[in-house]
Amino acid sequence: MSSKAAPLHQKFWTLNVALLFFFMAGGVLFAYFRFFHGFASVANLNPGYPFGIWIAFDVACGVALAAGGFTTAAIVEIFGREKYHALVRPAILTAFIGYFLVALAVFFDLGKYYNIWHALVYWNGTSVLFEVAWCVMLYLTVLAIENLPNVIEQFKGDRRLPAWILWLLERLDRFCSRTMAFFVIAGVVLSFGHQSSLGTMMLIAPYKLHPLWYTPLSPLLFLTSAVSVGIPMVIFEGTLAAKCFGRKPETELLSGIARYIPWFLGTYLLLRIGDLAWRGVLAGAFDGSVQGNAFLIEFALFAVPYFLLKRKRVRNNPTLLFWCSVSVILAVVANRFNVFLVGMDMGPEWSYFPSVGEIAVTLAFVAFGVLLYKIGVNYLPILEEEH
Amino acid sequence: MKISRRKFLKLGAAAGGTAVVSAAGPAMARGPQQPDPNWVGMLNDSARCIGCKACQAACKRENGLPPESTLGDAEQFGAPLYDSPRGLSDKTYTVIKLHRDPQSGETTFVKRQCMHCVDPACASACIVGALKKQPNGVVSYDADRCMGCRYCMVACPYSIPQFEYQKAIPSIRKCTFCNEKRLQKGKPTACSEACPAGAITFGKRNDLLKIAKQRIAGQPELYDPNVYGEFEVGGTGVFYLSKKQVGFAALGLPDFDYRPVSGLTESIQHRIFQYFIPPIAVYSILGGIMAYNQRRKKNAGKGGADDEL
Repeated sequence: MSSKAAPLHQKFWTLNVALLFFFMAGGVLFAYFRFFHGFASVANLNPGYPFGIWIAFDVACGVALAAGGFTTAAIVEIFGREKYHALVRPAILTAFIGYFLVALAVFFDLGKYYNIWHALVYWNGTSVLFEVAWCVMLYLTVLAIENLPNVIEQFKGDRRLPAWILWLLERLDRFCSRTMAFFVIAGVVLSFGHQSSLGTMMLIAPYKLHPLWYTPLSPLLFLTSAVSVGIPMVIFEGTLAAKCFGRKPETELLSGIARYIPWFLGTYLLLRIGDLAWRGVLAGAFDGSVQGNAFLIEFALFAVPYFLLKRKRVRNNPTLLFWCSVSVILAVVANRFNVFLVGMDMGPEWSYFPSVGEIAVTLAFVAFGVLLYKIGVNYLPILEEEH
Repeated sequence: MKISRRKFLKLGAAAGGTAVVSAAGPAMARGPQQPDPNWVGMLNDSARCIGCKACQAACKRENGLPPESTLGDAEQFGAPLYDSPRGLSDKTYTVIKLHRDPQSGETTFVKRQCMHCVDPACASACIVGALKKQPNGVVSYDADRCMGCRYCMVACPYSIPQFEYQKAIPSIRKCTFCNEKRLQKGKPTACSEACPAGAITFGKRNDLLKIAKQRIAGQPELYDPNVYGEFEVGGTGVFYLSKKQVGFAALGLPDFDYRPVSGLTESIQHRIFQYFIPPIAVYSILGGIMAYNQRRKKNAGKGGADDEL
């Protein structure tokens, strides 16, 4: 089924790519200050707010928005919906790029980045971060293996390559075809692990996190919201890729797979409302505070696409489908921001708003991700040929 | 065939859901960590504190910390003119602040520093165990092991750990209880030794508790009847006494619960990874579903393997 995928082989240097390089250059500039002159020269981080957008967006949102990989893999490979096979490779590639960038962003945010390997050696099982770090590392490895077949398919039997590389590719090919099932399931289980653990993270601060988000159910809410955003991310990326590479949009496939979204979103919304009602904190959403309003926005972004996507008419309309997906994506971003920043009250003396430098670095990461995706689909068999 | 498959999927989904819910569901209460009788601590008596800041100066001298000036920055004046920190920072491990109770209007000085908790949230949160409760009760920090993730700063309910935002290679900074510099040589903490008013008492945690209760019993009209830190967040190594008219909350010592703040995260973590049963269960269920679907595909021949949910 998958043999129809082929590299695009389009012109590399376009105006868009130049723009990406512009953003990346900005990030590099601020990165210099970050690494040689300390956080204070770039970021608005302070004693009250040790976590800024480098954690809230680059890591927390990055991990959640890479959920397209494991959800698509689960739907197609585990639950056997072969019809959507064309969506698996781009989803797995974007997930790999996403996690690669998360790892890179963590490197930026760690004060002693050269000690990052300590997570492998010094174990502290009570730390939520310990679990997140291990799951992310393992999942990044799994994603690399899941992307191997694309590389193998492209270069296997290419006579221009040296013999030992061909021999290696042959070996890897055999390894992949035998073990892929194991890695596909492992990828899903690892995703379950760290997606939920990210929800556990801020529960260590009961006196700082607002009651609208401080709930023992947070791990499950993070997991279900990540699952909910998986397909919308595939739709978002698929639509944009089609537009940017001048291809025919895969409307039929995307509309088809979109019918699962309301199921996932519904589960999430049910858990969310149930939890708020059970803990009796719903009134806090309407007290007019910043946190209350942030919650209302977050909730609306989740709820509106739920009701819209239940209609077949909406799903079959590419524009509406795209904007519904954007809404779900923004909802998850809003939720992660709320848990990691807006909902955190660190005392009356402290406030935080990301600096220009922090935003520039984050934009550079996004640009780098887009560039990697372009390189990926351009030179590897990721997207299926148009038919 | 089709019905049985549907049934199977439903069962599988239900089982998977249950496994996840049981893993991430409401946490069970974790038994609190009991303080060891050998642990050291300090008693800060805010009723006795005269606000002279001798402890602050002694702490800076002992730890070789530079002054922080509010008069102008160091670069402008060549050197700070006056050590006047506004709060804890990477250059100030302890600070004396004047607080006013909003109800009574009464003011008092209070010393802020690391509380050296009985069940420290920072040690629970630290990914590499750089923050650790030592056998003598001190919460120590190992800069060589630290990765600089700052999760300890999020975790600490008193917001004690400070980060060197100015440095290219930053570390976490906080009160060390003078562990290596003085305690291990048989000396008390620098701040307690420097205090001219007897407001800071160094000693074994249990003894300090007795002293604190004696002071309350001796002057019940002066003191608030509670010893702050006996039970708060599972107990702390540093105790506070306050005047009757000045609530602890007004001193920046919030009315915290008696459970350690890491109780919820630790029990969730514990549940998800208890003997690895939840992950293995999810793995097996997904594996079963995958194997079933692949066999079905093989039986049905190639293609046509999609049907409606």
